[in-house]
Amino acid sequence: MAKFVAIGERLSTTAPIINKAFTERDPEPILKRAEQQLKAGATYLDVNIGPAESDGEDLMKWAVELLQGNFDNVPLALDTSNKKAIEAGIAVYNRAKGKPIVNSADAAGRIEYLDLAAANDAICIALCNGEGIAKDNDERMGYCQLLLERGLEHGMEAEDIWFDPLFLVVKGMQDKQMQVLECIKMFSDMGLNSTGGLSNNSNGMPKAIRPIMDSALVAMAMMQGLTSAIVNPNDLRLMETIKSCDVFKGNTLYADSYLEI
Amino acid sequence: MALKGLDIFKLSPKKNCKECGSPTCMAFSMKVAQGAVSLDACPYFSEEAKAAMSEATAPPMKTIKVGTGDTEMTLGGETVLFRHEKTFVSKTRYAVDLCSSMDDALIDARLEELKHVDYDRIGERMYVEMIDVEYDPASGADKYVELVKKADGHGRVLILDCQDVEVAKAALEICKASKPILNGANPSNYEEMSKIATEAGVALGVRGANEDELYDTLAALEKLGNKNLLFNACEGSAKAAFATAVQFRKAAIKDSNRTCGYPSIVNVSKIAKGDWHLQAALLSLFTVKYGSIVIAEHIGYAEALPLYGLRQNVFTDPQKPMKVAPGVYPINGGDENSICLTTVDFALTYFVVSGELERSGVPCNLIINDAGGLSVLTSWAAGKFSSTSIANFFKEQDIEGKIKCRKLCIPGKVAVLKGELEAKMPGWEIIVAPREAVQLVKFLKDMQ
Amino acid sequence: MPFTAKSGKFSANINTLTMGTGDKAIVLGGENVLPFYTFDAEIENAPKVGIEITDGGLEAEPECVKKYYEGCSTVVDMAKKAATFEGVDFLSIHLEGGDPNGENKPTDELINIVKEVADAVDLPIVVCGCKNVEKDAEIFAKASEVLNGKNAVMLAAKEENYKNVGASAGLAYKQIVGAESADDINLAKQLNVLLTQLGVDAKSIVMNVGTAAAGYGYEYVVSTMDRIKAAALQQGDATLQMPIITPVASETWGVKESVATEEDMPEWGPTEERGIDMEVETAAADLASGSNAVILKHPVSVATISKMIKALV
Repeated sequence: MAKFVAIGERLSTTAPIINKAFTERDPEPILKRAEQQLKAGATYLDVNIGPAESDGEDLMKWAVELLQGNFDNVPLALDTSNKKAIEAGIAVYNRAKGKPIVNSADAAGRIEYLDLAAANDAICIALCNGEGIAKDNDERMGYCQLLLERGLEHGMEAEDIWFDPLFLVVKGMQDKQMQVLECIKMFSDMGLNSTGGLSNNSNGMPKAIRPIMDSALVAMAMMQGLTSAIVNPNDLRLMETIKSCDVFKGNTLYADSYLEI
Repeated sequence: MALKGLDIFKLSPKKNCKECGSPTCMAFSMKVAQGAVSLDACPYFSEEAKAAMSEATAPPMKTIKVGTGDTEMTLGGETVLFRHEKTFVSKTRYAVDLCSSMDDALIDARLEELKHVDYDRIGERMYVEMIDVEYDPASGADKYVELVKKADGHGRVLILDCQDVEVAKAALEICKASKPILNGANPSNYEEMSKIATEAGVALGVRGANEDELYDTLAALEKLGNKNLLFNACEGSAKAAFATAVQFRKAAIKDSNRTCGYPSIVNVSKIAKGDWHLQAALLSLFTVKYGSIVIAEHIGYAEALPLYGLRQNVFTDPQKPMKVAPGVYPINGGDENSICLTTVDFALTYFVVSGELERSGVPCNLIINDAGGLSVLTSWAAGKFSSTSIANFFKEQDIEGKIKCRKLCIPGKVAVLKGELEAKMPGWEIIVAPREAVQLVKFLKDMQ
Repeated sequence: MPFTAKSGKFSANINTLTMGTGDKAIVLGGENVLPFYTFDAEIENAPKVGIEITDGGLEAEPECVKKYYEGCSTVVDMAKKAATFEGVDFLSIHLEGGDPNGENKPTDELINIVKEVADAVDLPIVVCGCKNVEKDAEIFAKASEVLNGKNAVMLAAKEENYKNVGASAGLAYKQIVGAESADDINLAKQLNVLLTQLGVDAKSIVMNVGTAAAGYGYEYVVSTMDRIKAAALQQGDATLQMPIITPVASETWGVKESVATEEDMPEWGPTEERGIDMEVETAAADLASGSNAVILKHPVSVATISKMIKALV
């Protein structure tokens, strides 16, 4: 089994400092955050430039070149609703350390993102969701089938489609949590890869609680077969949990210093 | 090998008609993979898809039986590429090569030597299990038939290495009752060879000048309905032979290519003719990597001792420790007056300890307890190597009746047992030996 | 329909490591396939074979090895002679006489031998310790100093003395640091991590993960090496991508199959043949499981294993 893939989520327009840096093309705050995430153990970095309707192509190109140039071709997830921006990013992307990830397709309006990933030999995150939140796992698996077929039709390998069950917030949807975990088990039983915005579960909780909830959930989800997550790698507790689970699952070989590497 | 839901889904009709009771074809595929529903619940799975599935769920590598009665043995049937993933199941078998071009004296000498190397190692009989009987057209059919007669009846499985159909037929007439291997099919004769092998009920060995030819011939034989097959690793060079043995095994087990899923025959006597040490190296190489039968010119004690030990190790089930029989093992001519040392029945412990004792040259008795095949500390922790179990074992085995000496050395790792043993075994002087076996030589010498 | 095998080439590689200097320098590792899987991808650097001599000189050799060194009166003579045997890629000088529980030779005496040997031959040198961790730390520190610039291997740092050995051999003199872990895969990884954290370049570490003589618990050797190669190549674990060097001779020449005389075991035949085959078969299994270099004693074993490697790569 391959090591769990932690996709660092901290390069996002939702963070004001990053938003400003993207707008002003100021490398420093971006490089700083990228380095923090990589040092903490992120495999991929998510580059969320927001809708970026006016200058998305230019911005994504700039971001890809900046990050890959400074961090030995670090593999990236290109995260925007602007498809042209994703294509522009892939055009300058170096695959030496891994294929680009298109973030993301869903089973409703964004299904063509799969076609885009297929056309560019990229990995695609496929959100098993249509309009609104799926009522049960039959519905999620229906979307899963739809997305899988679409990808396969366009010539993708199944392993390049990373299915996202859509992690739900505990405060408000506590009763759905086990469904999401069971859905991950279904992906895993099918032999499919999976990922998702795991920390969504703890939205709205006190800051001190969030790492605890996130760590517990990642351990349970990895037990169910989750192969990746979009997370904050600078959450030490979370990363320690992921590394420990990787040991239990045989994804990495144990050594006393395993947390330091 | 179990199919993943995804493999089944790819073959499914993808109609989502719900007639099977599942909401989607994907859900249905998942249930089939788990064994929760039968594939028959779907009316739309094509016959081709079903055939592909049953093919995919068949064992990745055929198990081939050769020999009969006491000499019956199984080859192949492996499910993993590395022993730590589960276990290997069919150990490598070794053969020596006889050829009808050899003179009688050499043949007799080889057969004599064959009888000679036959010993027990941790409960396993170690001997050359097979004889490769090679046909030399220049020496004629009669000579070959004579050789087969001579080789048959040694309690070894014969490999009839003969690509001439008529001669093979004559050879089979003599020995088919003992279920030899007919190693004679090639791209030009396979149909006839398959016919006579099937009639005689024996496994058929297949050759090709290269991997493509070999693969094609195996596929053609499968088409004829013969799946009682072995393949010969290409004989051109060690590199070619290794490539065939490894690639076919990998293709069978990892990529589910059933046509490659047969036991292999590797003839190192051809690859390294005349160089017995190189043959020894290759015997070892093909034991570690995927030789089902390895044929050498010569297997004497020098080749056999490390080889059979290696094989016993490599084919041990990782879940089951190797055990030696409990009892008294006199070493260096130890007798009833010699000092006693006791330890557990874990084979590795026994080998390491007995080796060091032998090196010391000191006559002694090694008393092996029944400790469940575990190492010293593990069995001690499990209560299988305790003062009670040792004292009881000594009573059961009547050690005091067999041995007069009352000095008993216990492993340094269980020094804590000294007091309890002295209490439970009155009359014995309990001596704590070193913690590590390597220190035994000095320990015993110092004690003298 | 032709046979098409899926390639077993990995995206990760074993590190390449150069031993020695000049024309006789050799390169270990670099492959991105399992041992001898040349059909998956080319193996640029074939495994290498070393010959072992000891500080004990001729006297310490098994009877059957002595004749190959006829006329040699010193360890240096033996080293020169050993360098001429067919198939020898490097020389290992095993300082077993340093063991405080054995002869306990002073470190300076041993280091003199090392220096003289290194001056007399141009082959890459491996200095093999005496197994006592304190003494070895001392030996490797001084050996690293006298072999400055020779790019020699210090075999090996252990859990108990890695700091000293790493600091002297690795940091001060830029020699190659051996990391010894006796069939313990977690320790193998840990030692590499500790050495690199100390500042030793990961690319100048070579692992000795241990071996047993064939038949003596060899299943652990196979599984240890199989799992290390799987971690290094399949999982891309950079902390296990160091090449593996395996001292075979020191294991095989002690077991009874190699030692028992013909008088003791008449049915077993000549001792020499048994000693060679035990060494050769153990080495072949080590190489098949993942060793990038083996250290042997008998010249016939060296020639045989070298021939096998050439035939396979």
